[in-house]
Order: sequence, then C-alpha cells, then structure tokens
Amino acid sequence: MLFPTATFALFFLVVLPLSWLTMPWPHRWRAFIIVASYVFYAWWDWRFVLLLAGCTLWNQVLAVRIWRTRTPSQRRALLFLALAGNLAVLGYFKYYDFFVTSSDNLASLVGLDMPLEVKSIVLPVGISFYTFMAISYVVDAYRGDFEPTTLEKFAVYLSFFPHLVAGPIVRPAELIPQLETPRNPRRVDTSRAFYLIATGLFKKVVIANYLASSIVDEVFAAPGQHSSLEILIAVYAYAVQIYADFSGYTDIAIGIALLLGFSFPQNFDSPYAATSIQDFWRRWHMTLSRWLRDYVYIPLGGNRGRRPILTYRNLLLTMLIGGLWHGAAWTFVVWGGLHGAALAGERLWGERRGRAERPTTAWTRWRSRIVVFHFVCFAWIFFRADSFDAAWEMIGGLFTGWGEASPLVTGGVLLAILVGIGSQYLPARIPRLVMARFSRLPVLAQATVLAFALMLTSVMGPEGVAPFIYFQF
Amino acid sequence: MADPPLPPLPPLPDDDTATVERVARPEAPVAPPPSATRRHSKDAPESPRRRQWSAGHALVVCVLALAIGVLLNAPGIHKSAYNKSAGWEREVALAFTGPLADVSHALLLDRPRKGVQALIGRSDDDEIDTEIALPAPGTPTAARPGSKSPTTSPPRTPAKPKPPRKVAFSPQKKLRLWVAGDSLVITPGYAVVRAAGSSPAIESVGGVDGRVATGLTRPDIFNWFEQIRTRVKELRPRAVVLGFGGNDDKAYMTGLPEGVSIGDFGGSAWRREYARRVGGLMDMINKSGGFVVWIGLPQTNSPEQTSRFDVINAVAQQEARRREGRATFVDTYTMFAADDGGYTEFLPDGSGQLKKVRAGDGVHFEREGGDMIAREVLKALNRAYDLTSWRKKSTA
Repeated sequence: MLFPTATFALFFLVVLPLSWLTMPWPHRWRAFIIVASYVFYAWWDWRFVLLLAGCTLWNQVLAVRIWRTRTPSQRRALLFLALAGNLAVLGYFKYYDFFVTSSDNLASLVGLDMPLEVKSIVLPVGISFYTFMAISYVVDAYRGDFEPTTLEKFAVYLSFFPHLVAGPIVRPAELIPQLETPRNPRRVDTSRAFYLIATGLFKKVVIANYLASSIVDEVFAAPGQHSSLEILIAVYAYAVQIYADFSGYTDIAIGIALLLGFSFPQNFDSPYAATSIQDFWRRWHMTLSRWLRDYVYIPLGGNRGRRPILTYRNLLLTMLIGGLWHGAAWTFVVWGGLHGAALAGERLWGERRGRAERPTTAWTRWRSRIVVFHFVCFAWIFFRADSFDAAWEMIGGLFTGWGEASPLVTGGVLLAILVGIGSQYLPARIPRLVMARFSRLPVLAQATVLAFALMLTSVMGPEGVAPFIYFQF
Repeated sequence: MADPPLPPLPPLPDDDTATVERVARPEAPVAPPPSATRRHSKDAPESPRRRQWSAGHALVVCVLALAIGVLLNAPGIHKSAYNKSAGWEREVALAFTGPLADVSHALLLDRPRKGVQALIGRSDDDEIDTEIALPAPGTPTAARPGSKSPTTSPPRTPAKPKPPRKVAFSPQKKLRLWVAGDSLVITPGYAVVRAAGSSPAIESVGGVDGRVATGLTRPDIFNWFEQIRTRVKELRPRAVVLGFGGNDDKAYMTGLPEGVSIGDFGGSAWRREYARRVGGLMDMINKSGGFVVWIGLPQTNSPEQTSRFDVINAVAQQEARRREGRATFVDTYTMFAADDGGYTEFLPDGSGQLKKVRAGDGVHFEREGGDMIAREVLKALNRAYDLTSWRKKSTA
C-alpha cells in the first residue's frame, strides 16, 4: 500500500478513529495496530507477513535471553546468533543473487565454474529497514542500554505501519516508551502533521515525479544522446528528485504517526545546505547515519584508534557498508566508498590544517556548500546509473557536448530544481508561521486548504503513482 | 497524562541556515489546546505558536478535506474510474464517480481544477478519448491522414505489395528513428537510442515515448492511435520501433466499433479486433513511409501471463508477416529463455559473464536485456535499409 493512493486514504480513515478509540485500552490498541500494520504490509504480498512475524519472534526471544543472561560469553554468543539470523535473512533476500553473479564472474575469469545458481529472489519491501530496527533492539539489550519490552510492544515497534516500509529507522528508546502509556487525545499536533503530509505529497508527486519523467530517466538511460548541459542539469535534477522522493515519504510517515499521537525522529535537515561531507551525513537520512555510527562505526573503533589511519579505515568501511545497504550492486559500493573517502579526506585535511573544520565566514560557508553539493551530485551519478559503463558515459558526456541543442532543459525543469534546492534555504520562520496560522483556522477552513493542496498535487503530478525510490532498499 | 520525553536527537551543527525540516521538530513551541484559550496572546513573529487540537478534530479535518478534495478532483477521479480494468470494481467506481462529477460540475467545484490545468497547459488531462482512427485494412497507401475507418469486418489479407527499394542512408542523410510503446519498450528503447547513437547513419528523433500502464486495448487510458498519428506526422521517422501488449492481455477493450463485442481474451473475435489495431498502426506508419520494428513480448516469471503474451505475440507476428518488407517482428521470447527454455533473470553476455537481463518484477528488462534487444533491432534495420554503403563510398 502506497501513501499517495486512494486505498491508503480509505485505510487511514478507518485506522485513525479506531486507533484513538482503542487507545485507552493499551492491549486492545496494540493488538489493533499490529493487525492494521500487517494488513498494510500484506497488501503488497501477504506471504512476507510471515517473514515479518518471524523476525519479530526471533529478535524478541534472543533480546530477552541476552538481557537475562549474566555470563558475558553466553551473551556474546546469543548476540552473534541474533545478528547472524538477521543478516542471513537480509543476505538471502537482498544479496544472494548479487553474491552468486559476482562470484561467478570472478570465477569465470580464472576458468572456474561456480556450483551456485541464481534464484531470482523477490525482495520483501522494507526488509532493510525493519532488519536494522531489529538489530538495534538486540544490540541495545546486549549493551544494557534498553531493557527488552513485551512481545506485543516489540511487535508494534517493528511493524508500526507509518515507518514499516521506508523508515525513518526509529530506535527502541524513541518509540517503545511512547507505547507504554496512551497518547493524549486532546493534544495532537495536527497543524504540523498536515503540513508534513501536504508538503511531503507535493515533494513526491509533483517535484520528484516531474523531474524523473522530464529529464532524469531519459538522460541517465542514454547519456550519449544528450548534450553536456542536459547531462549536467539531469545530475542536479536527480539530486533534487531523490531528496524530494525520500524526504517526501518520510515527511508523510512522520505526519501520519503524529496524527496517531506518536513522534518519530527527524530524517532530513536540508542536506544540500551542508558545509562539509560530515555535515551532509548529519542532514541526509539522519536515522540511517546515526544507526551506522552507533552500530557499525563505533563498534569498529570509531575515532578512538591509536593511529589516525584506523579512523579513516573505520569511516571508509562504514560508508562502504552504507553503500551496500542501499542496493546489491557495485555502483552502490562505489557511491559509499566515495563518501567514505571524502569523510576520511576531510578529516585528514582538518587535522593537517590544525584548526576548526567549520567555515566561519559567509563566503567560506557558501564556497563549502557549493563544493559539497557538487561532490554529492557527482557521487549520485554512481548511485543512479545502472552500471559503471553508464556512469562513465554520464561523466564523459559532461565534457564532450557543450554547445549542442538541449531540448530537455526547460523552464519547468529549472524551476523544479530551483524550488527543490531553494526550499532548503527557506527561513525557518516562514513554515513556522504557516503552521501557526493554519492551526488557528476554523475546521472547515483547514479542510478547504488541505483539499486545495490535494487538488494542486493531483493536477500537477503525473497520472498514476510512481513507486518511491527507497522502497527498493 | 504527560507524554514520556523523547531522547534528544543527535546534535546538529549550528548553522545560520534555517530550514523547513528544522522548524518541524517535535520540540517546537506549541500552544495549549483551544479550551485553555490564549487566542490573542502575544505571538512574536519569530516564534509563532501553533495550537494543538484533539484527535477528533484531526479526524474531522481529514474527512472534510478528503470530501472537498474528492469534489474538487471529481473529473480526474471519474477518469481514473473509467480507466480501471473491467470488473465489478470499475462498475462500482463508475456508479459512484459519474454522479460525483455531475455534482462537482453543477456546483462549479471542478472550475479550480480546470483553471490550474489550463494554466499549466494540460487542459485535456481529464478527457476520455476512445476514438480509434486507422487506415482501412489492406490499403496502406490509399488512406488519407485523419481518415476514420473503424470497421467490424475481419481484416482482409492485404495484397502483397512490392517490397520497397532498399533505401540508403548516410551521415549526410540519416535514417530517422522513433521508439514508442508501453513500459516494456522503455529500457530496450533507450538501448536502441544508444545503439543508434553509435551509428553515424541513424538519428534518433523524439526520444523514447514509453508510457506506463498503456496499450492498444484501452484508448481511454491513452490513445496511442492518435499519439502515433500525430508524432509520425511531426517527426517523419523512416523507422519506428514499437512495443505493445504488456497490458493488453485482458478480455476488455474500449473504442470498439458500434455493435462489436470481443468475447473472451484470445478468442477469435478478440484476436480479430486486436489484429485490426496492430495492423492499423503498422499501416499508418507504412503510409507515411516508415518501416516498423515490432518488439515482441518476452516470457515472464508467471506461466499464466506468458501464455497470454503468446496470444498477443502470435497476432503481432502475423500482422508483421503480412507486411513483409514494411514491418518485422523481433522475437524476445526465445532471446530471453534459459537453457531449459524457461524464464531466467540472468544470462551470460558475449564474454560469458552472467548479467542480470530482467528486472526483479519478472516482466521488465534491465539495461543489459535492453542492449540485447537493441542489437536485434539494429540487425532488422540493416536488413530493411542500406546503412553501410556510405562507408565504402567514403573510403573509395
């Protein structure tokens, strides 16, 4: 079930009142929300509900055992078992064919035959997200940071439909305490919720889909047929498209959770206004960045190594894993590697210069923003391209076709890019003022404003519903 | 009851860039509920307070917003209902959205939508167009542009015309190539465009016109007959690569001539009408001097779907064969078969390396798969046209 569909609207119109009506009875509410979330998930493919339920049971049993066990070696063994189970399932569904084809191609270079065969496995939607949430649950239990809760609450935590298929990746300490007590039905931050839902829909349906269909898909499919200007604008357009697509989804998810009375962590914070790569990762897919930081980078040793080279290695490894998380292809690994190398290089540069890394004047800030934005755009080429050949064709095309006709670079495309990037520099007081004014409108006026926003999104968006980019991850 | 506090989010850098997302954090100041009114409290412009409401209010706003939104968007919703696949869902949706569109129109609530559409140049988005205008069967050179000749009679086997002279193209006089079709043509289409780019004698015109969830059975969803007529007139391609049928494997068609019914999918009436549409498109292109390369449907990971695709392939292949020298059929069924003849997602490339050629959905193509089809398309073009003799002349 996709958020911007009539099916979801009807689903939510049933779930919203029933959720609040059952809220005073926590057991009933949790049972209801588990059923609702499983229905939401089953709408895509009912068979994978069993996988979600199995993941819930496996991690709950092991997290409780880890918490209750005193012997460090046994705790470590249980943690290893839990992680192995989670990663085995993720590896099978997401990486099996990638592993087989990569091994087969490597083996064929030395004249060997691989005994394994590709299986054309269907990837369960959202598996990367809920596997990471489950891992954080057992690791937090192992570290003693969070006591495992009941199976019922853990099932809600893992399957709660607003975050189920594409995040944000919510930590146990952020959501499970909210499940302990009923939400206050008299204090719902509706104006923020509606603002996030309306802007999220507009970002996804209008900006992201328009840029994809107007320039991005066509140029990335056949770079050799396009001028350098078209390729350059397509790269900028993809940067805006993926931001609008993914942040739009999480905005809607956060807004829907708010209407149900729950707070999710922020997932984007104007990433294209970042002044360094480190800053970018504090602003882009923030819940994944901190997950990688806490469950990969720090366990690897973080920046506590005796030699700086160990810190660089840890940064690189973390980002390579982050790249592979996004997709089972070497282009994603290169994308992660580029960011890892840039983070390490930035750190080395800061240490060499022996002063604060952060730019201090307006000029240096803007210079840094421009450099960082262009590096991020460059890395997106590998992220979006179907293959290395396609990526190199894009990069080569940036230099070889200036002066040619560029029919795809239209006023609409440039405007959409400008809106996408310019929105990240919007003064904070403007949306705050919009939300405050909206919250003071009478009911009918609020509904009318939202209805007009829906109408504009419907008219300006393409026909049909394009899938969200991050669903495939 | 007070909500338990959330743990703080990771620290963000101080920055003078105020952001949309940042103001939307949960800890932003909020005003008490309306009962504890501070309606006229002093709100500083830099820290305006927003009022929190009850869950009931949220529900009422949601219901009202959707109700008003449905009325404002009634023409579009009615078109979506019309575009649904045949069945009870479509009947129910039409029964509901038809009167809704009438009410919206009577109350002038469809005006804002029409106004915005006019403003962005999409005034015909809500129109339902089912008219199929095709050249009369068997007379590919006789029909005039714009002639409408829907017919119920079975297509006659056209008199076999003389194959056209093998026209030569060169870098000075390039073969104009256009690609159009449903979603299955998008990836191979771009591969054809890429391959054409490496041939100095071929020029891609109009890019790839690939449209998701369209086909030849439902001109109400997208009228390909009108689109191809218009684009062929504008672009004047000498070769048109087409791919249709991925969404046509159903016992339902719109735009039928008066009194015609098609019966079950794959039955003789269905095949006859589908052949009329496929053949009509080929004739339309031939009439303007274009050669048709029809990309057939591949087998998919669903045996049932594959057998339905077989029916469509048989019709398209037969229509191409009837127009030998003016149309050709590229068989992707065998091209993408595994060693055992069944479906596979991976195939070895020329160097023996395993490549993913089919998309994860079991139907569409990956880039490598598109490249395989493009090679066959270029071979077909080389058979139909002389694309290489200019090399000999230039080296002589």
